[in-house]
Amino acid sequence: MVQRLAGHFSVEESAKRIRHYRYAEERMMRVMGGWIALTPELGAKLLFGRHVWDCAQHADLWGKRLPELRAPAQVSEPPNDAFVRFMDLVESPEGFGQTPQRLVGIYGVLKPHLLATYEHHLAHANQVYEPPTRRILQRVIEDERRHIAAGRAILTHLLRDDGARRRAHAWEERLHALLAEAGGVSGDGLSHLAVPEIPPDAADVAGDLVELEKPVGQWPLPPDLEAALATHALSLARGNLAAVAEDLAPEFRSAGEEFYRSALATGFERHAVVGAAKIGSHRQIKLRLESRQGAVVLLSRWAQRDGRWRVVEAEVVRTEPA
Amino acid sequence: MDRPIAYDKLAREDRFVRMRARRVVELKLEQGLPPFPDLASRESIKERVHGIMVGELQAMEGAGRTVYDFPDAPWEFAMDMARQVWDESRHVEIYIRLLEHLDGYVGEFPETTILWRCACAEDAAARVAGVNRGLEGLACDVFNQLVHIARKIGDPILEHAVDFVLADEITHVRMGSKWLNALTEGDPERRKRAIEFQESIDERFNLGGMRREGEHEDVPISIATEARRLAGFTEEEIARLIKTTQRSSVY
Repeated sequence: MVQRLAGHFSVEESAKRIRHYRYAEERMMRVMGGWIALTPELGAKLLFGRHVWDCAQHADLWGKRLPELRAPAQVSEPPNDAFVRFMDLVESPEGFGQTPQRLVGIYGVLKPHLLATYEHHLAHANQVYEPPTRRILQRVIEDERRHIAAGRAILTHLLRDDGARRRAHAWEERLHALLAEAGGVSGDGLSHLAVPEIPPDAADVAGDLVELEKPVGQWPLPPDLEAALATHALSLARGNLAAVAEDLAPEFRSAGEEFYRSALATGFERHAVVGAAKIGSHRQIKLRLESRQGAVVLLSRWAQRDGRWRVVEAEVVRTEPA
Repeated sequence: MDRPIAYDKLAREDRFVRMRARRVVELKLEQGLPPFPDLASRESIKERVHGIMVGELQAMEGAGRTVYDFPDAPWEFAMDMARQVWDESRHVEIYIRLLEHLDGYVGEFPETTILWRCACAEDAAARVAGVNRGLEGLACDVFNQLVHIARKIGDPILEHAVDFVLADEITHVRMGSKWLNALTEGDPERRKRAIEFQESIDERFNLGGMRREGEHEDVPISIATEARRLAGFTEEEIARLIKTTQRSSVY
């Protein structure tokens, strides 16, 4: 019976660890909340949206446990400066094209580390006098498993080519190195704990995985507009400005010729319609044009003029270097 | 990350077409169309649902920014805002599914960012007053009317889904009232500025007389007085809103 009362953590140590957990959960909640607006991919955006609330609840559960351990409620405390630097690095990718890095930081490094740490803590928390902590650990472990599976599914979807996978891997290595320097979330060197196996259980993940952006296929456009767009895109790809000019509405001809001459100086190798919106009978068409120099996303408004579709407005909405 | 971020940092996939609200209205009027979907046809309902979907998306983004932008606000405030982020993320999903139910697709109509701009106030009290009371109050009006129209045309999927969202929105307005009071306690100047911000949003979203007191079929957006009472708006506030709709300038 004596062994059943053996424990690994004192009350003070337990409270300290919990403040460290709370720091990680609270900071993660705030960072993901801030990223939602900066993340273009709908699947990742909605995933952050769902997990912000779970992380908030984790931080809250830890924060409410603190007074039961003779410590002030709802206090976060990082284990050391290196862990703060680790979290700063996790937070740092905020660019338009950096969603994979954001996902890697949370679902590839931080959450797996928290899961491993929580599992380790649960295995060592006394079953007789630490059930309140154990209950919280069981809850957060279950959530973290689900989060990681959902995050990995979206990450796999986004890492479509070798270059992206290489960049993601390099980012992961960099984060792991800083996490090891910090000694993990508890600061006691447990950053090396093996991450438990997480099967990509579709049933569990379904609640988190909302929608992966669909590959651009056939847009529901009128057939004659589709044909006009195909010809237009081909003219753009070939740099045939005289042919492009034929597609311009009379009222846009002069400004349009100037626009296409300056904005699309080089030819393009690939093109695709990536967006199509309606305003009454007009159509706003987004064309993505790719060359070795990079990509241009062009937005043009098409309307019927003299029985055929013509461009009445156009602008470049984004350029991407190669 | 910057606190707050610039308006134009709002990130979207390419399938979204972003435009200024004013320009969309101009192009519709040039074509002899009503400036806002009048709910008189399935296509018009679909356009309204698309508009709501992007509104929910921006509401989620706005609430997420509030979680990030105000780390020194009370913890319970962060909890309420995090809960709102989750609610809005589910609302986005609901409206994406409703769009599919109506044979539409994400990006079928332009997105305007007028809601997002309102969600970028620098003061937390102004943000909850403007977003939770101004915009979520507007959401109560719009959803209440949509539930009614769905019931009338015999579309229980639309009716039930939107009714659950309406219940959430009422909760968000209550949160807004609670935090407007808590954050401005003992600071009447801050409270005054926050309320003025909310009123400027109310005025803007009267949409040049589109939002009015009246029967659901008779006005483009009818003010949901009962839902607003449930959400905690006072009789005086509801009366003031109705009064402002009678003097809003053309959008």
